[in-house]
Amino acid sequence: MGTINSALSVMTQTLDANQEALNVMANNVANANTTGYTRETPNWQENPPLTINGVTYGQGVTETGATSQRDRVLDSRLDQQQQLAASTGSRLTALNTLQALFTPASSSTSTAGNIGSDITSFYNSFQSLEAQPTNNALRQSVLSTAGTLAGDISNAAASLNAQHSALDQQVGGVASQVNALTGAIAQLNQQIKTTSPNGDAGTLEDQRQQDLSQLSQLIGINQITTESNGLAITTTSGQLLLSGGTSIPLTTGTVNGVTDFFLGTTDVTSQLASGGGSLGGNLTARDQDIPNAISSLNQLAYNISTTVNTQNNAGTDYDGKTGTVANPLNIFSPTTTVAGSAISMSVVMTDPNQIAAAALGSGTGDNSNAIAMYNLSNQTIVNGQTPINYYSNFVTTLGATVSGVQTENTAQNASVTQLQTQSNALSGVNLNDEASSMSTLERSFEAASKVFSILNTIMAGILNLGEETTVT
Amino acid sequence: MEQQGEHGRHPLLKELVTEASQALARLDAERLEELALSCQALNRDLANMDKDARKALVPQAKAAVGDMAVFVRVLEATRSNLDVMNRLREQRLGQLEYGTGSRLDWRRTESGHGNN
Repeated sequence: MGTINSALSVMTQTLDANQEALNVMANNVANANTTGYTRETPNWQENPPLTINGVTYGQGVTETGATSQRDRVLDSRLDQQQQLAASTGSRLTALNTLQALFTPASSSTSTAGNIGSDITSFYNSFQSLEAQPTNNALRQSVLSTAGTLAGDISNAAASLNAQHSALDQQVGGVASQVNALTGAIAQLNQQIKTTSPNGDAGTLEDQRQQDLSQLSQLIGINQITTESNGLAITTTSGQLLLSGGTSIPLTTGTVNGVTDFFLGTTDVTSQLASGGGSLGGNLTARDQDIPNAISSLNQLAYNISTTVNTQNNAGTDYDGKTGTVANPLNIFSPTTTVAGSAISMSVVMTDPNQIAAAALGSGTGDNSNAIAMYNLSNQTIVNGQTPINYYSNFVTTLGATVSGVQTENTAQNASVTQLQTQSNALSGVNLNDEASSMSTLERSFEAASKVFSILNTIMAGILNLGEETTVT
Repeated sequence: MEQQGEHGRHPLLKELVTEASQALARLDAERLEELALSCQALNRDLANMDKDARKALVPQAKAAVGDMAVFVRVLEATRSNLDVMNRLREQRLGQLEYGTGSRLDWRRTESGHGNN
């Protein structure tokens, strides 16, 4: 030692180490466009120094491998935001379809979107009949508007049922995709445990992260780091999906006519609905949004049908007859339960003479009962509201739901974009660049806060909601 | 952005809010700072407007309410992301100072023995 040979030996080792480091860099460059690849940096380890005659000689360094510049916390946060964005995204798609159903049609054909005007036209036809209760054309008009209203409500219910079935079929297919991914992650867990239990597993971890990202698009998950570089995954409500090398298959079964999801024997459908991912959004639409819409239509159909039928049976028709239990004078198909009222709504009266415009015991020229039937339109006969107000509130509530989900989805997608930007910045740069990336995030937030603050003042000033303040 | 609005010099409020949300989503700090200046100018002009001119802006403000809700949510999400990133950075700096990560090994090697 201490000779030219030993110096050359140290230099050779150093060059070898540098060559290994260059290989790591070359790998980074080669994979610059590989989806999911995380940049690696070489690890250096000093060789033990040698002491001869009290003099210490350095032995150079050895390259001991590479570490991926990943951050599991950031990856996990990104996955979480993707779950939320996927959930609101799929729910929004379903809600937009739902809302389109109740948008007034531009064509002359009446559709579900015309239910509001159908209700008005139907009750107004009684108002016209009041003036000429014996007019056959006006009587025919009552049946015609009743038919349009019943048809549009029934078609809307049928369309909602069809959307419900389509969503049910769609969610049923997700279980196999989830199982394929959890199986793949379990296998990767095993491989990582075997090949790199104590350090970064590079490409294998990249693959696992990509699978996790895909799984996050489908369902809401929690990630728990375990020993030997392993990973356990649960649903957001804590049911185990996989641990180490073992995955628990998500199974499906039909419960009350729809597809439910099981982990073991536990029905986890409602937990998955609130958990996130596209499955969460679709389940929310299937089990909440569409049933709510069907329920509202059923209520509307039930109350209109029963009150109109009851009132018509309380009068005298053009032939001087009154409705009886054996021969009722029903305009709409009679219904005894709210459920199913919308889809089964139809006009059963074929003879316009059976419209009981006259009050009980009055002559056929009387219009008292026609007035009473028109007055139903202004009475709170549907859940404490008039029929038209009930329908308007239903459409308004639906619109507000769509708008709220749209807002959430936009914000979540923005958050995902931000996190991806940060993740990309962190995975391939040094600490100085990382600080620069953070600085951009902070600067953007501060500037946006300022924009918001001023805009808030401006809006409040214009809308007279607050004091007008000049920002200097 | 279109130059529209009450005096033909300012963008519509709705467009302004939408662009702010989009700029924040892509962390475009420069654009956000420009928008802040634009908002300041608009606010100054607003203070000098007469009542009728301000009334004319009411439909614009109403049309922008929904977009403001989106902007608020994006702002909230950004704040959460900023919190996460700050915690991560503190964690990383803490590891550098006290930990035994690869970077620390490298620093020790370099400073201890002069092997670059």
